[in-house]
Amino acid sequence: MKITLAIKKRDNPYIPIEAEAITTKTFLEKKPEDISVWYGNSEQKLTEIFDVRVEGDAKSEDEVTIIMSGNCSAVKRVGEYMNGGIIEIEGNIGHHCGNFMSGGLIEIRGNAESWLGREMRGGKIICHGDAQNYCGSGYRGEKKGMTGGTIEVMGSAGDFTAETLAGGEVIIRGNTGNLAGAEMIDGTLKIYGDAHLPCANMKGGTCHVYGTAYNVLPTFEYKGLIKAGDQASQMHMFNGDIANRNAKGTLYAAKYEFFK
Amino acid sequence: MHSLLVKNAYVIDPLNNIRGEIMDIAIKDGKIVESVKDSAEVIDAKGQLTLPGGVDSHSHICGTKVNFGRYMSPEDMRAGRGRAQPYMYPVSGYSVPTVYANTYRYSKMGYTTVLEGAMAPLEARHTHEEFSYNTLQDTLANTLFDGNWSVMEAVAEGDLKKVAAIVGWTLAAVKGFGVKITNPGGTEMWGWGKDIGCIHKKVDYFGVTPAEILDYLIRANEMLNLPHSAHLHTNNLGKPGNYKCTLETMQRAPDLNDKRQTLYMTHVQFHSYGGSKWADFCSKADDVSWMLNRKPNIAIDMGQVMFGKTTTMTADGPMEFNLYRLHHNKWSNHDVELETASGIIPVHYSRKNLVNSIMWAIGLELALMTKNPWQCMLATDNPNGAPFVKYPEVIALLMSQKYREEQLKTVNPDTEKRVFLPSLDRELDINEIAIMTRAAQAKALGIVDIGKGHLGVGADADVAVYPIKMDDIDPSKDYQKIIDGFSQTDYTIKRGRAVSKKGDCLVLGDNATIWVKPKISEKNDISKDPEFMKKFERYYTVSLDNYPVQEEYLHRNICIETETGI
Repeated sequence: MKITLAIKKRDNPYIPIEAEAITTKTFLEKKPEDISVWYGNSEQKLTEIFDVRVEGDAKSEDEVTIIMSGNCSAVKRVGEYMNGGIIEIEGNIGHHCGNFMSGGLIEIRGNAESWLGREMRGGKIICHGDAQNYCGSGYRGEKKGMTGGTIEVMGSAGDFTAETLAGGEVIIRGNTGNLAGAEMIDGTLKIYGDAHLPCANMKGGTCHVYGTAYNVLPTFEYKGLIKAGDQASQMHMFNGDIANRNAKGTLYAAKYEFFK
Repeated sequence: MHSLLVKNAYVIDPLNNIRGEIMDIAIKDGKIVESVKDSAEVIDAKGQLTLPGGVDSHSHICGTKVNFGRYMSPEDMRAGRGRAQPYMYPVSGYSVPTVYANTYRYSKMGYTTVLEGAMAPLEARHTHEEFSYNTLQDTLANTLFDGNWSVMEAVAEGDLKKVAAIVGWTLAAVKGFGVKITNPGGTEMWGWGKDIGCIHKKVDYFGVTPAEILDYLIRANEMLNLPHSAHLHTNNLGKPGNYKCTLETMQRAPDLNDKRQTLYMTHVQFHSYGGSKWADFCSKADDVSWMLNRKPNIAIDMGQVMFGKTTTMTADGPMEFNLYRLHHNKWSNHDVELETASGIIPVHYSRKNLVNSIMWAIGLELALMTKNPWQCMLATDNPNGAPFVKYPEVIALLMSQKYREEQLKTVNPDTEKRVFLPSLDRELDINEIAIMTRAAQAKALGIVDIGKGHLGVGADADVAVYPIKMDDIDPSKDYQKIIDGFSQTDYTIKRGRAVSKKGDCLVLGDNATIWVKPKISEKNDISKDPEFMKKFERYYTVSLDNYPVQEEYLHRNICIETETGI
């Protein structure tokens, strides 16, 4: 089954659209006319907001493909609790894309807003542009964030990337903002550009910074140059964050600067 | 004028000795009357259990520390979400929910009066502002005096009159209701990074012991003729072996009042621990209830722990710091200038954990081993032991041995060797439950005279109709029906109006704050005392003139004026 959603022109493109209904499961169970989304403070039919075209049939979520086109940067919560299938987004996407998803693939050609793949459980998200803050993190106050799956961002990501990461893999091809991997418990974080204050208060897991790790906290114990990661040169290894009891986290950095 | 008739009610009203009579309750202008005209609005109770509105004598629902619990736990707001509907605002949160969520949930369970357990005098305005949104229950605030510099200095001087003058003035100034003493002396020591231990160690710089502070405050409380007795959170909360300290405190409590208890000890479950460390931790509920059974001048509340996530918050700063060192989770401690302290941490009580399982058992043991239900009230120290929405489960546990046995099978298997619970076969009846959830509370708080906790003529028309038919069920077997029934009333009536029907609110509500104003002579007015004024100038961040809470903060209120003779 292939569903094409083209966003219609709206008077005010900044009014948020809460679209947790846009997942592969809903289209398997309901007709597009019966699906509703919240446009600002009013509940509206999906067909009022998008031009919807459905082709073919499907027996399971894995056979469903959703293609979203146009500027969807105000469309929030796309792919929430998704279990399988594919969502392709041709432009930008709004906040909380791929919340709690446990299977399937979300591919974003443009940029993603904050909270991309928040508390993800499995599956894969590929973002060809940049991601904003809290990419692959847990929600506020939560101790355990993302527990499985993969998020790959080809551009850069904002602050608090992979905060409270507890499993799975987050790959950022560009730079990250402040506090990437803060409070991480487990899982892998790879940053191919630079990072600031990486892995503050980490308890476990592994982080690779292939660019420069700026402002590495003094509570990270320097262990020496070691061959690690997927690049030929050796990397500086740190153990941390020893502000925690029994800290088992590891931070590798190609270049580093301690916090001054 | 509005009148209402509740027909065919199966009434239990312990204060008026009514035990399960089918009767009609006539209500006019918010009060219970002998009869009403036929034109009155009628609610048919259909023979269902009808009790006076519930009274919670110790709960943390409003004020700075509750609010800080909200700041600290944004993840708590992911639970308990409710949408807006007519007469109800949207709500969220479970252990530290929004003020509206608290008031709706209490109302759904049939509660109409709630006491906030600890209000720092300096931060009273915040408490009263939140009270004004707690619209479906009348509210009272216990005011903290445990580490008050002026009180401790007056105690050191041995001047009881001065202690009474300070307490009396402060209560009236901050619109408080009772005298709360949390870990006396301990909160001041915590300001210096120390703990006080039990009741005979001297507080640094003041030279007074917790025992002396307590003795003076109990006597000052009686000197001021306050409706409620001194309300004590004993020293050494949560430490293995603290029962000795609790017993000694109980033994010292004098008997000075023949209308009610002289000392109210709160969340005694947290103070009934045996052993010397966590490894040999065990229940000493037998010793504590043995003492309680011999001391009719003391009343307690259970402080029952129920399993699940919650947030602990108390004015006992050092205790929360010790808990933080145990859990290494997020934590907050706060020092309230010259008065007290506070601390907050989130906790998760787990069935697998031996210590938590023993704590769960101790609360129940206290209630079951206390012979007189008027002496032991049902409370969880919300949200420290569990959020108050767990009360129906606590009621069912007390009423059904079968339910207790089933629950005991799910807790840590070593629990049985350390507690008495498996050997207790007492099952409380519905009359005792009514005492423990409203009548005893109203009596202990001294608010029976203003019409709380009973359904006699002239009482406030606070009534709860629960969907339970006592003749059709056997609480010891049908415990699930007891839980469901107490979780949601058919009708909660507050001041003569139905405010909640099957969990949905029917009005926006308008609560009253009950506060006390002891009449103190001009000669003993502490706010004119030069030493007292100097304290404000030198140490407080507020001036004496800005300290009292203006009446504008109260909206509706009931002021209890007392004759003091000082």
